[in-house]
Amino acid sequence: MKKRTLIAGAIALLSLATVSLTAAEQMTTYVARPGSKMRIEGTANAIHTTWLIESPLIGGMIEVGPGFPTEPGQAVTPGKVEAKGNAFIRVSSLKSVESDGKPYSDKMDEITYEHLKEEQFKQINYKLTELTLKEAPKSKDAPYVFDSTGDLTIAGVTKKITMPANILPVVTPKDKGLEITGNITVKMTDFKVEPVDKNLVVGHIKTGDEVKLVFKWVLVQRKAPAAAAK
Amino acid sequence: MSENESEALGYNRRDFLKGGSVATVMAMMGGVELFAQTNAAPASETKAPTIKIKVAVIGLGAWGREIVNTLGRMPQAELPIDAEIAAICDTYKPFLRRGASAAPAATQTEDYKTILDNKDIKAVVIATPTPSHKEVALAALKAGKHVYCEAPLAGSIEDAREIALAAKAAKHLAFQAGLQMRSDKQRLFLLPFVRTGALGKTVLTRAQWHKKTSWRATSPNPEQEKALNWRLNKATSLGLIGEIGSHPIDQAGWFMNALPTAVTGFGSINFWKDDRDVPDTVQAVIEFPGDVRMIYDATLANSFDGEYEMLYGSDAAIMMRESKAWMFKEVDSPLLGWEVYAAKLKVFNETGIALVAGASKPPPVDEKGQPKQVDPLTTTPLFYALSNFLLNAAELTQAAEDYKASYGADDLDGMMEALGKTRRRASAGYLEGFQASVTAVKANEAILTGKRIELKPEWYELS
Repeated sequence: MKKRTLIAGAIALLSLATVSLTAAEQMTTYVARPGSKMRIEGTANAIHTTWLIESPLIGGMIEVGPGFPTEPGQAVTPGKVEAKGNAFIRVSSLKSVESDGKPYSDKMDEITYEHLKEEQFKQINYKLTELTLKEAPKSKDAPYVFDSTGDLTIAGVTKKITMPANILPVVTPKDKGLEITGNITVKMTDFKVEPVDKNLVVGHIKTGDEVKLVFKWVLVQRKAPAAAAK
Repeated sequence: MSENESEALGYNRRDFLKGGSVATVMAMMGGVELFAQTNAAPASETKAPTIKIKVAVIGLGAWGREIVNTLGRMPQAELPIDAEIAAICDTYKPFLRRGASAAPAATQTEDYKTILDNKDIKAVVIATPTPSHKEVALAALKAGKHVYCEAPLAGSIEDAREIALAAKAAKHLAFQAGLQMRSDKQRLFLLPFVRTGALGKTVLTRAQWHKKTSWRATSPNPEQEKALNWRLNKATSLGLIGEIGSHPIDQAGWFMNALPTAVTGFGSINFWKDDRDVPDTVQAVIEFPGDVRMIYDATLANSFDGEYEMLYGSDAAIMMRESKAWMFKEVDSPLLGWEVYAAKLKVFNETGIALVAGASKPPPVDEKGQPKQVDPLTTTPLFYALSNFLLNAAELTQAAEDYKASYGADDLDGMMEALGKTRRRASAGYLEGFQASVTAVKANEAILTGKRIELKPEWYELS
């Protein structure tokens, strides 16, 4: 009797391991690659009523399960999709820019790093915890519209955020990838980042609390490791 | 090497500080002075995190020591970098000792390779004799150092091309040719002013460099003395037109956005009848497109009127002296408007208008709101050139770290492409350095042969 229980337990464990292995095998991993852009749009009281900061680098990866569209135009069912991942931006890669993308000011960059506590917190992090497909695209070239939930960490303070994310599968002869775009408005004081309020060469400047984060995140599907030689 | 070697070579602090008296003279002449905003920021601004960068200076002749002096003043400008002179190098011990007086904490070495082996040193400034630039610059780039290489880049077009191509390939590194005028705030202010036609039709340009100096250094050791006097030997020197004239000639082309098309030269040893074979007095006519010619002359035999550059247009002329500039308008030229309020300068019967970059901005103030004293050495073209070099180097170093942290270091081509897009502050790059060297080599050839040489456009192409 005891022996039979042990065997049954072993079989159950083996089945569980197999199921887990199958699930892992069904997960598709995408890793970040160059071509991304993060843009932070803010407001100010003087000189320029808006200010812009950009980074061309967004690192990280996501893993998605079955039901996630990996090809353009792929048939999908709206609803929750198994997904997890993280994205990060190096604070030191953020640079102030003019509206045409040209560099704006070293001083503005310095103020950004200072307020985001760059010396202590090198990255802005985002951890994806939930992804829900809202609707299938109306054309093959259009992105899939998701609702995403995750934890955003700025200057060491973490807040849960929800935002729409447009995901466009991109297939080239070389590889498969994703372009994820979206935007969200956040209050910097929620992250204990105080707005700029100081005297500069150009006069007294006070920035608004709300900033808009606009991003395009480019990822490429990680290729499966080559099979072991027989 | 004599104690007055700085004076002998015509580079010294006093020359840089002379700007004030020049301004006074020009003010008396009625010129309108064009000023540039200084780097100094109001004390009310907070100090943000800075990027630390260690730099070494290789070559400590008079100009190399001026570079060390200038680098030592970086903290005064409140730049977002913390530049440390980590090492200084020269094969001649007296130079090392003199260099150390301005950088006492720097490691001293006679072998530049020990600097290249030091992983903590990210940037090097090469101020060695021109013939050795190639060896040191190529080794420095290979060792992954950001490189500031004095102009001319080399004594031959082939060597200059080799340096420029190596710099072009190293997109992850900042390479700057020592054409400091291209980083000068005053000249950057003048550039759009000239290019947008404020002078009317540009008709001619002129520059001079006059000094009473032997250009000779002395040493108890004859072999050492010969090495120190590489500028006086035409086998190793591009002479006055190369070592000095390459800067204003490059500047003229930069302002007019054109490359020279021909050069005619004259040179002779008129005064210093020693064992030198490099002319002590040179004149050259450099032709630019549109029938605009530049007249350049330099002499080691007379110091009258020092050095300055002129641009002449149908509506106005601009005079540039060190870090100052004045505009002299024709009576029939259109009214620009702002010049009514600008500072004036009487020059004989002419009235000069001061051209001052950032003149409408408030001057820097200290903690008490009082006008801040600005060290004149922090507003020279050399200061701006070196600070831009270090800022570019620091930014590229940081950008490489950010890239690797974001995407890993496997895709070297991708990283190079991304780093190639990193913004660069105003500076002469490898192409400008190469092109200025081509002109210098050919202008020297024209001087030594007394001929007119047509400068083929393909000579200015890198590959």
